[in-house]
Amino acid sequence: MKAAQFEHHEPSTVDEAVSLLESLDEPTILAGGQSLVPMLRFRLARPETVVDINGIDSLDYLREENGFLTLGALARHADVENSATVADRYGSFADAAPLVADPQIRNRGTVVGSVAQADPKGDWGSVLLAHDGAVVAHGPDGERTIPADDFFLLPYDTTLAEDELATALRVPTPEPREGSAYHKLKRKTGDYAMAGVAARLVFDDDGRIADAGIGMTAVDITNARAKEAEAHLEGERPSPELLEEAGELAAEESNPESDEHGDASYKERMVDVLTQRALADAAERAGVVERRVPQ
Amino acid sequence: MSTDSTGDYDGPVTEEISVTVNGETVTAEVEPRLKLSDFLRNECGLHGVRVGCEHGVCGACTVQQEGRTVKSCLSYAVQADGMEIETVEGLAEDGSLHPIQEAFHETHALQCGFCTSGFVMATKELLEENPDPSREEIETGLADNICRCTGYQNIYEAVERAADRMEGGE
Repeated sequence: MKAAQFEHHEPSTVDEAVSLLESLDEPTILAGGQSLVPMLRFRLARPETVVDINGIDSLDYLREENGFLTLGALARHADVENSATVADRYGSFADAAPLVADPQIRNRGTVVGSVAQADPKGDWGSVLLAHDGAVVAHGPDGERTIPADDFFLLPYDTTLAEDELATALRVPTPEPREGSAYHKLKRKTGDYAMAGVAARLVFDDDGRIADAGIGMTAVDITNARAKEAEAHLEGERPSPELLEEAGELAAEESNPESDEHGDASYKERMVDVLTQRALADAAERAGVVERRVPQ
Repeated sequence: MSTDSTGDYDGPVTEEISVTVNGETVTAEVEPRLKLSDFLRNECGLHGVRVGCEHGVCGACTVQQEGRTVKSCLSYAVQADGMEIETVEGLAEDGSLHPIQEAFHETHALQCGFCTSGFVMATKELLEENPDPSREEIETGLADNICRCTGYQNIYEAVERAADRMEGGE
């Protein structure tokens, strides 16, 4: 046994979980545990109490309702990977799910937990940003919805309060002419991204880009939006030149750090390339562009 | 060290759990921090569950929990309360190896054998989901398991052989 001792609490409802979070001293929430258990094992985290939410059956869902695709806090990466709804309508989710970690971790790890973990190298935060999504949180005062733009603060730090439980994440259901995609560069299966880009494009009836969303993975202190690239795309018709310009802008907006996998300038180039690829896929999936930019 | 600080300590808090392991119910008092992998090895005596990296990278501790493969070093035994776990020891029937084990044996898909039970369990789920995988699908499906001896080629051949044999039912 390598973790320090902790008390294990197993609420069966959200309300029960929230009152535990309120009453316990600095509790840690355990969902899929695929990041938390190693942290406890290395004693990077030493919580005295762990609130294990795996018994809250009401959080185990993935569904479209009221104009949103909503994933409950117990939806596993594999649930996204195996969802026909996602495969048909949410290209970025369908792309990202099989690229997360490895098959066994995807069977157990949760999407909401990954977002709440707020590792800047996590994939789902970028997808959430690109879709203008939100995190749904439950606390002592009830439910609140935190837009993705207001969620990430620092590595492993979010605007969730200590006594709040992230119960779901949601993104709007696709517009009639919408497409999205996720591209990720990693050394091998199981690794975190060296860089990743999620893109979502909505077109108007005239074939112009009405709304663009771009989220970037592993190239800033949090998952980050490429705002200038988004603004550059809006109102324009897609062309290889336009996507190249957007790629360059995204690369300029990114702030990668040099590490053993590559230096910062290399990662910026990768952001450029991945942005172009993700945008091209998104445009193609929106049914607006038939020809793809060369890969 | 002062004795006062430990004077009131009456042992770690434990929980009683009941887990169905390879078809048999095991009941035990465990500390919440006991990992499922350590529970299976030390409480159940199932040493086919290998403990390698202990942080979810090597895949040697792979078991099936409620029919899905998981790394047993990435969850706690208390979380498996009431669940069904299958380890590599549960595969053979009446002393005959499972077709996957047979194929690993025949193609020399192991040298030291430390990683083998994890590979066999990962292969089981891979073939349950995809009975006729391509070489690339095998490589992707087993990417969470590390082998330091074989160079993987014989393992992939074993999976192909097992798939051929298992197609149309075991």
